[in-house]
Amino acid sequence: MAAAIAREVRDGETVAVGTLSPVPAAGVLLARARHAPRATVMIINHEDYWPFHEGSKEFYDFAQQGKIDLFFLSGGQIDQFGNLNIIAIGDHDHPAVRLPGGAGSAMLYYLAPRVILFRSDHTSRTFVERVDWVTSPGSSPPGVFRPGGPWKVVTPLAVLAFNRETKRLELESVHPGVSQEQVQTATGFPLVARREGAVTPPPTEQDLAILRGPVRQAVARLYPVFCRSAFLAA
Amino acid sequence: MPGHLGSDYEKLRPDFKVIVDPYSGKDVLLVPAIVPDVALIHALQADAEGNLLLDEKEDDFLLARASRVVVASAEEIVATDTLRRAPYGVRLSGIYVRALVHVPGGAHPTACRGRYGIDEAHIQEYLRLAGSDAAFREYVQRYVFDLKDHAAYLEHVGL
Repeated sequence: MAAAIAREVRDGETVAVGTLSPVPAAGVLLARARHAPRATVMIINHEDYWPFHEGSKEFYDFAQQGKIDLFFLSGGQIDQFGNLNIIAIGDHDHPAVRLPGGAGSAMLYYLAPRVILFRSDHTSRTFVERVDWVTSPGSSPPGVFRPGGPWKVVTPLAVLAFNRETKRLELESVHPGVSQEQVQTATGFPLVARREGAVTPPPTEQDLAILRGPVRQAVARLYPVFCRSAFLAA
Repeated sequence: MPGHLGSDYEKLRPDFKVIVDPYSGKDVLLVPAIVPDVALIHALQADAEGNLLLDEKEDDFLLARASRVVVASAEEIVATDTLRRAPYGVRLSGIYVRALVHVPGGAHPTACRGRYGIDEAHIQEYLRLAGSDAAFREYVQRYVFDLKDHAAYLEHVGL
């Protein structure tokens, strides 16, 4: 997943990584070590990668000025239209699951030109036909100020892409060893493949060495628990 | 607040209002300011005037300015000069601070930058016991009522 995320980072752009996002943090740092050395990388509250001095307010102000090119979001539910639900599963006042709330996600989903969604699982419980509550809509009607929106979705099974014409998610590629049927079974809405049989390129030996070396070290400063388990399995 | 238009916040929060931005002519969502009655804040350092040194990466500075009353605890009380020379952090003037208490280890089981990290085992225990009222009573008994004072708490948790 980190390698798939790294490929989306372009050299010279400003990339920000929000809270609870260790995999995007790893992907962005891999990109900077590899093909995007001039990317400005921001990782929330990281000692070495957080340029702000006035908490999240300064970051949100910066984002509202349109200065973030690429951002990462997730959701308790993600639907075929790219809508995110971070409010609640089920009834709002008596929910099956109370989710943490949107924080800056509704604003950042509009303002960052490319937003990559990520999940550490891929199931039909998460990828639903329609979210119970819309924290951040995937698209907006014409006339609404919206330079940004969903770009890709990266999961343990596949990469999905958001089609800005149809305003729906499509299958871009399956990860090596995963079949299209497997992804479809784990997804609660029909997935159209952009290109039949497309497979996500696996990370190279060099990618893995960077990930397991300096990237792991940097990410562990913020996510020690994640790094203890995630990199052992690699 | 840019964005948000078309989300369910418009449904769930009738206090969020859509108006036309008089400058751009476009719709914009207004969100009322949160004004807490009291903010409880743990400072890295403080002086006798109530000036605080806060972690600039966190939102304590914003929270303090938004709240009607600020009650601060501080890891350390220092001379005003020392506070001015701090290598990092943001200084909050004592004009915002109603009360100040010297409480070393006051951020435990969360972290205090430059002093101590998160007590992961304690947080796990808290999460486990916070799951029900009965279990939470056990937590409060163990860490509040059974201990004589804050020094006893610090000794108990090994800080």
